[in-house]
Order: sequence, then structure tokens, then C-alpha cells
Amino acid sequence: MSTSNILEIQGIDKQFPGVKALSNVHIDLREGEVHAVCGENGAGKSTLMKIICGVHKPDSGTILLSGEPYTVENPNEAYARGIAIIYQESSLLPELTVLENIFMGHEPQKPIVPFLPAVKMIDYPSMRAKASSIFERLGMQIDLDAIVGTLGVATKQMIEIAKALTFDSQILILDEPTAALTSREVETLFETIRKLRAEGQSMLYISHRLDEIFQIADRVTVLRDGEYIETAPVTSVDKNQIVSWMVGRTLTNLYPKEEVEIGDVVLSVEGLCQEGVLDDIDFVARRGEILGIAGLAGAGRTELALALCGLTQPDAGEISLNGERVSFESYRSAMDHGIVYISEDRQAYGLVLPMMLRVNITHKVLPSISNLFGIIDRGQERGITDEYIEKLDIRAPDGDFVVNNLSGGNQQKVSVAKSLAVDPQILILDEPTRGVDVGAKSEIHRIISGLAKMGKTILLISSDLPEILGMSDRVLVMKTGTKAGEVMRRDMTQETILGMAL
Amino acid sequence: MSATTVKKRFKPTRETVLALIVLAFLLFLSGTTNFASRSGLYSFMLDVSPTIVAAIGVGMVIFTGNIDISLGTMSGFVAYTAGALVKAGAPMIVFVPAAILVGVFLAGLNGFITVKFKVPSIVVTLAMNMVHVGFYATFLPQSGWIENLGPRFTWFGRGRFFDVIPYTFVVAIVIAVFFVFVMKYSRFGKTLYAVGGDAQAAVYSGIDPDKTVMKVFLLEGFLIGISALLRAMTRNEVMPSVFIGRELFFISAALVGGISIAGGSGKIVGAVFGAMFVYLLTITMIYFGFQDYYQFALQGVIILMAVYITVTDFGRFNRLLRRITGRPPVHS
Amino acid sequence: MTAKRINLSILFSHQTVLFFLLVCLVVLFGLIEPVFFKPRVLFDVLAIVGEVGIMALGMTFIISTGGVDLGVGYELQVSAIVFGLTYTTTQNTVLAIVLAMLTGTVAGAFNGLVISRTRIPPLVTTLATMYLYRGISMIIAGTDTFAGFPEGFLKISTIELFGFLPIQSVYFVTLFLIFDYLYRRGSLGRNLKAMGFNENAVNFSGVNTRRIKFAIYTLTGFLCALAALIYLGRISAAKTSIGDNLNFEVITAVLLGGTSIMGGVGSMRGTFIGVLIIGVLKKGFTLLNFSGNIYNFTLGLILILSLIVFAVLEEKEKSAGRVAAAAPGAVG
Repeated sequence: MSTSNILEIQGIDKQFPGVKALSNVHIDLREGEVHAVCGENGAGKSTLMKIICGVHKPDSGTILLSGEPYTVENPNEAYARGIAIIYQESSLLPELTVLENIFMGHEPQKPIVPFLPAVKMIDYPSMRAKASSIFERLGMQIDLDAIVGTLGVATKQMIEIAKALTFDSQILILDEPTAALTSREVETLFETIRKLRAEGQSMLYISHRLDEIFQIADRVTVLRDGEYIETAPVTSVDKNQIVSWMVGRTLTNLYPKEEVEIGDVVLSVEGLCQEGVLDDIDFVARRGEILGIAGLAGAGRTELALALCGLTQPDAGEISLNGERVSFESYRSAMDHGIVYISEDRQAYGLVLPMMLRVNITHKVLPSISNLFGIIDRGQERGITDEYIEKLDIRAPDGDFVVNNLSGGNQQKVSVAKSLAVDPQILILDEPTRGVDVGAKSEIHRIISGLAKMGKTILLISSDLPEILGMSDRVLVMKTGTKAGEVMRRDMTQETILGMAL
Repeated sequence: MSATTVKKRFKPTRETVLALIVLAFLLFLSGTTNFASRSGLYSFMLDVSPTIVAAIGVGMVIFTGNIDISLGTMSGFVAYTAGALVKAGAPMIVFVPAAILVGVFLAGLNGFITVKFKVPSIVVTLAMNMVHVGFYATFLPQSGWIENLGPRFTWFGRGRFFDVIPYTFVVAIVIAVFFVFVMKYSRFGKTLYAVGGDAQAAVYSGIDPDKTVMKVFLLEGFLIGISALLRAMTRNEVMPSVFIGRELFFISAALVGGISIAGGSGKIVGAVFGAMFVYLLTITMIYFGFQDYYQFALQGVIILMAVYITVTDFGRFNRLLRRITGRPPVHS
Repeated sequence: MTAKRINLSILFSHQTVLFFLLVCLVVLFGLIEPVFFKPRVLFDVLAIVGEVGIMALGMTFIISTGGVDLGVGYELQVSAIVFGLTYTTTQNTVLAIVLAMLTGTVAGAFNGLVISRTRIPPLVTTLATMYLYRGISMIIAGTDTFAGFPEGFLKISTIELFGFLPIQSVYFVTLFLIFDYLYRRGSLGRNLKAMGFNENAVNFSGVNTRRIKFAIYTLTGFLCALAALIYLGRISAAKTSIGDNLNFEVITAVLLGGTSIMGGVGSMRGTFIGVLIIGVLKKGFTLLNFSGNIYNFTLGLILILSLIVFAVLEEKEKSAGRVAAAAPGAVG
């Protein structure tokens, strides 16, 4: 392995309206290494990647590629310079074949008219040959004519990698490639990465999953809140060291769990089934309890939440509230029974970002603050808004502020406030701290603890194991739509939970 | 991850189903009417040609997730330009390119406003429709009516091979074949799928969606130019207003042909069969004595049904097809 | 804080610009034809926009959600035809009114049903049903004109309150006040706009957006029927040429008024001014003996230009930092 730097990122700053996304970030990628970039959600990893591939422009700082200055305007130029990115969001088109997808936009061409070299057509035979050799390199057999939409997530991920390789890139950037994969699929992916490294491919590997970093990376750079913290070879650090770099403080402060008297059973679920998603789920949740719901992506956690609050209809099973059997034909009726759901994706499902705080906060209570003709009582509207701005310490000048202009953490608080306004008995929080900075994260945890103390029942869905461990009284572990097990607080460790989830 | 080398069987794609329906229609008409006669076939081919070309044009625009409802009125301008130039004594080598250029300009204007100002194409073209119609009557002498154009104008439109195949039909088929080829063998064709299917994914693949949309509007203008000429040149006079409302046929041909209104899926060949289907339906109704205005209601219903089948593609319709053909279910 | 101020100032300036345009038009026409300044003529403007105005109220609801109804003119047409047919065959005014109202409402409800229950976009749905409704009214009426309605019925549009105020303006203004109040202060208006931005979020707030969609398209159909009656009261003849222009006029009024075709942003007051602008243009052009075509041409041009101006304004607003949608940390 040579030690020359193929990519040097120096002193990058990036400011978004209201947020400092990156400040003075530097990373050097050596030739032929797998360099992990890690940090919590919101640490600036994705922003950094988007700068490298030309989606965003840095405010200051320089990037050197093989010693040459590197500035690009769009992903196309990045490809041309030899940097290929595998995005979190799929860049594949489901209607097209594998072959068409991996060469999208840069299909090999050959001239068709002898004296007019400008008139070209796609050279399918050479495209096919190149694709076969790439998949061979990846150690993967695939039908090049398969329609991508019919393939599984893991296969799509490999196709994304194959697509990046078609650019003959010097540098491959993988942005959270394992987010949607099962553990076996992750292993296949890692084999591929190792194979590519053995061929001398330089890679930046973005992830916040520490275990992966130790498995796959040579060196690791940690970012926190948009700032560069440290770079080290993985052999010279341990997990705790990286964690402390990532969070910048000891873990105990992060989860302000309060001991709360746990009361009677409020919610009990028996044999809940939904075709293809949920299979025979049983559990209870008590007053004042925080019930963590852990599991991998795709384990059915969100689907469980949706079925519990009437947003989808279960096929079988019983839901009882305070001993009384209930069924919800709509979310509204679940809300009337005191169950609210706070979506994991606040941009897509939680909030109407371009509208004002008061509109968002009072959205779920509109029926109760408006009269027969649906006319909203402005006084009550303002009252509720101001109450929650204060209670949850939402940093906005007033209720007329547009939610879009708030930081991620404050947006999440608005999302919580919106649900609290209906005075629920049971709150289902789905990944409440995803994409939220560390400070806001612990604030949200404090709010959750406070709610439990008030006697609310909390179902906390999270992929963040430390969060589950730190906050829950009990954990329900899910795996492929089934209940894999339950763990009490005193027995909780990462290992037990992961053991069940995998 | 094993290779899925399922032996390829006949799978009824939307296009083949449509082709079969068209065939059935042809046979039905031949059996029940004098459609199969020389004149019947001739007039069918003559009438369907402009719609085939225009459906390909608007089909590609729909591919990218846009739409153009000023096709009819744009055609009127093209026809007028050609007519006026012929009257002024211009030879074919001049008036044909000039008329097509007018189509390119007008469609390009639609594309420019759509792309540059991010005004949705539906609104732009709706407004343009009004502007065009108003323009004919206000600024063109005699509302653009030009008569007695003579054989210099009509020789091509009325010409036929073997006394039955119109020249115009040959043009339409050549264009259709060319664009089937373009969609399969050019980068541009692939780009259209990407932009319509998922603009974000297209950007990640290094494609500039705005540029693509602009190009596709220009191309549409070119094809509308040809389409309008194919129709105009069959007559001895031009009258822009006869083209008003013809966008209905073009759009429903494209939609019936399976080009998804949401963008990103469909085939050129579908638009061709779609055009034939729409025309055969018209002809059938005429043969069976339905008044002209039943067309409107019927076209409306056809558009709805065609799009309904397209948008619910991955639902019942596909499952049904799959059950029939025994293909493995879709995993996604 | 700045963001909010920018937001308000844009909305403010928009309506001011619009109002300024309205005043300019009145002054312009008045200077050319002084009779335009007479109160009589100005009231007449209110009378002739009654139908457009009433339909535009429903259309504002629809466009706020990011939808559109392209065929309101034909919903009016088919209602009017049904009225004409029923009256001329039964001589029963009440029955004719009931059937006409039912027709419009059902036409709107059908749109609503398709849009709320299938994944067919409003644009295509209403494009198709527009032709469907037009076809139906043509099938019913052919080339006939239904006329000779009773005096009592005509009164619904010919009464002048206090001897000068046309009754249509009373209908329109009353409905406008109700709609404006519901739109600004009601939970309905709030949900409509929120749906225009993010329909999922509205669903996840426990609101049944399907029901709302169904309701607003049905309501618009109902308003079209109402407008049809008012129109018949004024014109006193039902034929298939009425309503052709209304599709466009209604959408233009709403978009001119500043309601975004993408949904989320809208103003009932803007629509009101938009309607008045249309009325002034119509009346002015009539007084100047301009043809309907010049009017169409101008209207189309005004729509395109105003959309471009709004787009440029919005772009400025965006670059001023209102939108931080691509904020970091949003993903990963």
C-alpha cells in the first residue's frame, strides 16, 4: 500500500441558512486505503460527500485530487475526474434493466456512419462485455437484462457499486451503504470492498456504525457537529475512543433517564398480524414506561407503529387500551383514544415545512379548537402554540415563524409538540433523534423522560442502540416482522439486543 | 445471488397486447365493412400518419414528466407557414424546413418557459393554446386561410405507392422506426427514461434534467412540424383553426400506447399502436353511423382507462398478466 | 424573522401589483372609451364575471392542493344543456334546476372520485373528463339551441338590486366572502394549503385527505352548475358552444390571483382581483369592438407573463434564504 495521498480535503467550510454545516474539515485519503468517515447523524458526513461530488459548493477550503486542485460543478464532472459516489438515495431507475442502469448517461458508443464520427449509437456488445467483467470483479452473478425494480435491496446496492465502477474511478465513495442490508448481505458487501481494496481501489466509507468501521476500514476520521475531530488508524484506537470523539462527552449525560414509578398496563397487543409485514406480535406497555422497540431496518417497527395507530389496518390481532378492546378505522380515531405517532421522517410525514409553527403545532388539534363551521379559534391557537414553544423550548421568535427555517432538532421538537397538543396517553416516537444534532438530541431525551414521568406511555422506536439502552425500561426486539424477544432494563446490553435482532 | 436464467417465454407486454387489439380491430373492420378495400386502407393510412408522428413527439415529452396541450394550435401555425410560403412561390426545399422550424420554435418556447422559469408545462401550454388561437384570428390575414395551393403543395401529401400506400404513411413509419432506434441505441433515449423516471437519480447519474427537457421539447416541435405538414399537404388549402383540438388525439394516442403520464416508462412502439387504435376507433364509429361528437366522450373515457391501467400497473393488472404467463412475482 | 417579513412582503406586493394592473386596465379602457368610467359599465363588469368568479372560488380550493380541474367550462356546459333539455321537454323549471344542479355536482363528484381513489393525476383525470363532459353535452344537444326559458327563471340573473346592482355580483361577492373566510380562517383552508405542500403530513395529522379531495372537486362541480344557471339567466340560450372559453378563464383568474399551480400557496382575494381583471378585459374589449380572439390572445399572454414574473419573484425569495429544505443533517 502506498502512502501517497490521492485525495486531500483541506479546511472546508460550509454554511447553510441558519446552520453551520461544516467548519474547517480536512481529510486525506491515501491511495488504496479504505478510509472511514464517521460521526453521528448531522455531523456533516453527507454534506461533505455532496461537496465532493459537486452537489454543494464549499464556502472556503480546497480539495486536491492527486495533488491537482479539484473543483466540480455537478456529479458528472466528479465522475469525469474519477470520483464515483454511491449514494444513500438510490440512483437506480426501477423500470430499466441492470445493464441500462449501470451505464446510464455514459453508455459506450460507436460511430455508425463511416465518415460521420459524430453520429454514434450505443455499443451494446461492448457495454455487455464491460458489465460482465465488472460483475465478475465483484464476484457476483447477475442477469444483466433483469429489470432493476424486481431485484432485492442488497442486489440493488451491488448494482450501485457496479455502476460506480463503470466510471473507472480512482476513488469510490460509499455513503452508508449498509443502511438497508441484512447482516449476511453486509458480509457480502464487505467481501466486495475487500476485494476492491486488494486491487488498489481507494475508498471513502461513510458510516456511523462503528463495528463496520473496525471490520472494513484502514483509518477513520471522526466528525462532530460539522467539525473535524480526529483521524487515526483503526488498529490504534478502540470503540470507546471513537464514541467519545463522536459525542464529545460521556454517554451518561446523553440519556437523562429518570426513574419513574411504572403503573398499570395501558396498552396490550395480542397476535397482531399484517400480511407480509407483521407476524403475531404480542406485548404490553405500562403507564410511565418507556418501551424501546429495537430491530434492524425492515424489521417491521414502523409498520407496527402504523398498525397501532390506525394508519394501516392489521389483518388479525387485538389491541386493548386500559383493558378495553379497541380498533381504529382511522388515525383520527386512534388519536381520540389518546394514541399518537410521531413519524421518523418529519420532512415527508411529520411536518408541513413551508408553513408556520402555529399551523404545524395545532394541526392535530384543529377539530377541537375550531367551531361548527371549521373556523379556527385564533386565541386558542396562539395559546397552544406559545405553550409548547415554551414547554419544549423551541427556539423560534414566535408562532408565525416558518418551520423550514428551524434547525433539525427544533423541527423535531415541533413534531413532538404537534402530537403532545392532543394530550395523548400513548406516544409512539419513531426515530425521534434521527438527523438531530447532539445537543438537541439530549434535549429530546429529556423531554421523553419528562413525559414518562407525567405518566405517559412511550413506545420508542430507534435504530440507535445506545439510545435504546439509555432510555428504555424494557425493550421489544423485532426481527423480520416478528417479535424476537423482550429484555428488561437490568439485562440490557448491546450484545443481547443485537443477538436477538440479527 | 444466483443468475436468474429463466428461459424467456412470450410475455404479453402492453405493446403487444395493444398490437393484437389493433390487429383484431383491423380484421373486424375488414370483415364487417368495406375497410379492406383499396380506398379504405388508403384513407386509414393517410389519416393515421400525422397522429403517429405527433404521438411520438408528445410521447417523448410525456416521458420526461411534462405535457404539451398546444400541439393542435402549433400544428396550425406550421400549416399556415407552409401554405403562405407556397403561395409566395417557395419550392418544397424551402417551405418544408421553414414550416418545421416554426414548430421547433413554438415548442422550444414552451420548453424554455417550462425549464427556465419552472412554470409547469401544463400551464404554459394551456396559455400558449389561447395565445395561438387568438393569434390566428387577430394577426393572420383571413385567419390564416389560404386556398388553391395547387399540386406543388399537395403532390407529396396525395402521392401513393402502388396506388394504396400514401407517401405520408411511409414517412410516419420511417420516423417511428428511427425513434424506436433512438430510444434503444442513443444516450439521449436512455436519458429520457432517467429524467422522467427519477430526476434526482438522473442528476446522480450526471444528467442535466433541464437540458434534457429543453431538447425533448425541441424534438417535439420538429415532429409536430412534420405531423402538421403530413396532414396539411393532403389538402389544397390550409386553415389553421382546423387543427384546434387535435392535441386530444395525439395525447390519447400516446397515453393509450402506455407512455406513463408520471414519466419514465413506455415505448415509442406503443405510441404508434396507440395512434392506430385511436384512429381505428374513430373509423369504426363512423362506419357504424355514430355522430362525430361521440368521439369526444369516447376519447375521454379511453384516456381515463388507459392511464388507469398504467398507474395501477404494479397492481392487479400486472398480477393478472403474470398469472396468465406464469412469470415469477415481482420482489421489490 | 426576516424570512417571515420577506414572505409577507412578497404576498403583499403580489396583490398590490395585481390591483395596480386592474386599475391600469380600467384607466386605459376609460381613456380610450370614456364610457368605461360610467358606474353602469363598471357594474356590468361585475355582472359578466359572475360565472367565472363563482367557479374560480372552487378552483382556488383545488389548485391550493396542487390539483387542477381543466374542464370546469364543460361541467357548466353540460349542466346548462341538461337544464335546457329538461325545460324544453317538461316545461318544469324546478325540475330543470334540480337536474342541472345534480348534473354539475355529479360531474364534479366523478372527478373527485377518480382523483381521490386512483393514482391518476388530477391533470389527466380532468383532461379526460373534460372531453367526456363535452362529448356528453354534444350527444344530448347536437347542434340544437335550447331557449325560451320563462321570465321567472331569467330573473335569477336579470334583477338589479336597488336598480343598479346586478344580482350576479351579489351572488359572487357573497360566496366570495364565505369562501375567503373559510379559506383564511377555517381548518379547511389550512388543510388545503398543507395538502398542497405535503399531503402525507396532513394524513399523518389524522385528516382524511381523500375525503377532502373528493369534497372539493364535487363542490366545484356544484358551483359550475350554479354558474350554469346564472349564465342561462343572462344569456337565455343553452347550446354547446358555451363554456369553451371558461375552462381557461377560470384557471387564469386563479393563477393570476397568485395561487400557485404547485399548491400550498393561495389567496382567495387574489382570485377575486384576478376575476375582476378578466371582467375588465372582457368588457373593455367588447366596448372597443375587439373580437373574442384578441381577448383570448391577450389573456393567454397575460397568464404566461404573470407566471414568469411570479416565478422570478419566487426565485428571488428563495435565494433570500426562505427555503432551507436541503439543510445538512437532514439525511445521514
